[in-house]
Amino acid sequence: MAGVQLAEVGKAYGAVTVIERLSLDIPAGEFMVFLGPSGCGKSTLLRMIAGLETIDGGTIRIGERRVDTLPPGERGVAMVFQHYALYPHLSVRENMAFGLRNLRVPAAEIAARIAAAAASLEIEALLERKPGQLSGGQRQRVAIARAIVKQPELFLLDEPLSNLDAALRVRTRLELAQLHRRLGTTMIFVTHDQVEAMTLADRIVVLNAGGIEQVGTPMEIYLRPRTQFVATFVGSPRINLLPVAIEEGPAGSARARLGDGTMLDTAIRFAGLPQGAMTLGLRAETVCVTAGDDAATHGTAEVVERLGERTLVHTLLSDGSRLVAEDAGVSAVRPGDRIGLTIDAAAAHLFDATGLGHHRAETA
Amino acid sequence: MTRSRLATGLVILAAVLMLVPLLWVLALSLKDNAELMTDTASVFNGRFTLENYRNLFGNGDVFRWIANSLIVSFGMTAGVLMLASLAGYGFARLEFPGRNLLFVVVLLGLAVPEQAVIIARHQMFSWLGMHNSYPALILPGLSAPFGVFLMTQYFRAIPRDIDEAALLDGASRFTIFWKLLLPLTIPAQATLGIFTFLSAWNDYWWPLISATNKDMFTLTVGIASTQMNFAQTEGLGFLMAQAVFAGAPMLIVYLFFQKYIVQAVAGAAGR
Repeated sequence: MAGVQLAEVGKAYGAVTVIERLSLDIPAGEFMVFLGPSGCGKSTLLRMIAGLETIDGGTIRIGERRVDTLPPGERGVAMVFQHYALYPHLSVRENMAFGLRNLRVPAAEIAARIAAAAASLEIEALLERKPGQLSGGQRQRVAIARAIVKQPELFLLDEPLSNLDAALRVRTRLELAQLHRRLGTTMIFVTHDQVEAMTLADRIVVLNAGGIEQVGTPMEIYLRPRTQFVATFVGSPRINLLPVAIEEGPAGSARARLGDGTMLDTAIRFAGLPQGAMTLGLRAETVCVTAGDDAATHGTAEVVERLGERTLVHTLLSDGSRLVAEDAGVSAVRPGDRIGLTIDAAAAHLFDATGLGHHRAETA
Repeated sequence: MTRSRLATGLVILAAVLMLVPLLWVLALSLKDNAELMTDTASVFNGRFTLENYRNLFGNGDVFRWIANSLIVSFGMTAGVLMLASLAGYGFARLEFPGRNLLFVVVLLGLAVPEQAVIIARHQMFSWLGMHNSYPALILPGLSAPFGVFLMTQYFRAIPRDIDEAALLDGASRFTIFWKLLLPLTIPAQATLGIFTFLSAWNDYWWPLISATNKDMFTLTVGIASTQMNFAQTEGLGFLMAQAVFAGAPMLIVYLFFQKYIVQAVAGAAGR
């Protein structure tokens, strides 16, 4: 078990910079998730740690060792690939033994490690089969088992769940979390799926255009997004963003005036906010449909999405802006209905013109 | 249903059309030469004989020529497989300056007909004093641009994830090539091997030029050397026995490896 330190690591393909002088410290035993949209550099970063991509500058350390000058096989890492990358002509047992043989592990120990990993992932019955005879889920388990038998200092997982169907993805996600708890080994998991990131991670690194937008625990990322990009990328449905004018409200807080004239007293301190137009961020769960007279504003329901446990109401405000509000699972709202909305302004976020987020003061 | 029957009928018709000439040759080879001189339709009247095959095997040189053909064909096949695999791996996986240009140069070899280089080749082997030797019969065939192209495409089709997983497993480049990638190219190897073997077995022109010593004849050259004047009239049965004998190995190879040949043709069409 070892931590990972990236210091000023960069990567460019010709004139295109993929990773821009990035530094990151991952403590030993942490489950770290690299989250970001396609092309943000998250897989490249993982491959740089694995040694499958060279780095143009900086250093990579795993534990106490500097590894960026070492070939992949000497870095003490194991990787699970998106497309499994099992050796098709070898049996499951031989797939698992291949790396150990290269490391000159004694045959008896190889057999013992394979037996233990196979038992752990419940693939004993598959050991003599070839990868082509396995289902997608079974192949993924074998790929994980192949990584486990190496007893690496660091696991790297490159979108390992993306080829599985929805039900299997949920199950495998749970098993990965259990596996991490059992092994205690540092894991870096790459995904563009925020649900995977939120459910698995000890901490998330949100990447965008080759740089780090934010590093934090899932709830830090969700509740206190450092930038507007993070706020929009994390959370489903997408955070509501509305242009607002800001003025000082009661007790030094910022008061936001929406386009339709609605005034919202946020819990964000007015002092220190930049002058000029800002963007208000409201999660859907902080905007609720109400039939009472406590509505902060009103709008017209355009689309109603019934998800079972809740209903999402896409609403058009009088100034033409739109937001998504929540209602109970069993909701009477229908498209075209005029509805009232309550807004939990204390949970609102503000983003300035540079995209930087401003949030309520942290409570102890 | 009707379309399926029509397709089946067409396939059977095509098969019969392909088979008839082979059966005709076989039948002629089993007939007496004198009888065939009067009328080839005598094939349809009983009285078959193995006389032509007895005459063929009566020539002791035939077995020597078979051995020569086997040595040349297997030697060329092994050489082509080895070189084309290494070159294919190199073009598909290794980064080196001028790789793409070199690949194009290799492919240009496909456009150069043997006739264009045969004199120069003859002079070179003559100058080297290599005529009438196995290396002289084998070496020219090792230049196999099609083989390099086929193997390059095959290696390229193997996901790079395999190489990368193996690198993380601590495997060397050679281990990756030898233990992981090469076994995955077996269908292509089989195809290339069969094509190379058949083409080496059938080759007539270069052995005719290079092997002037009877002991170094390959089967094609040797059998041709036994043909008498007016063979097609006076010795038609014997000629056909020679054709059957020379063609039998190809038929056997095809029967055993037709799966790979079909795969190769389908694969080449798909690429």
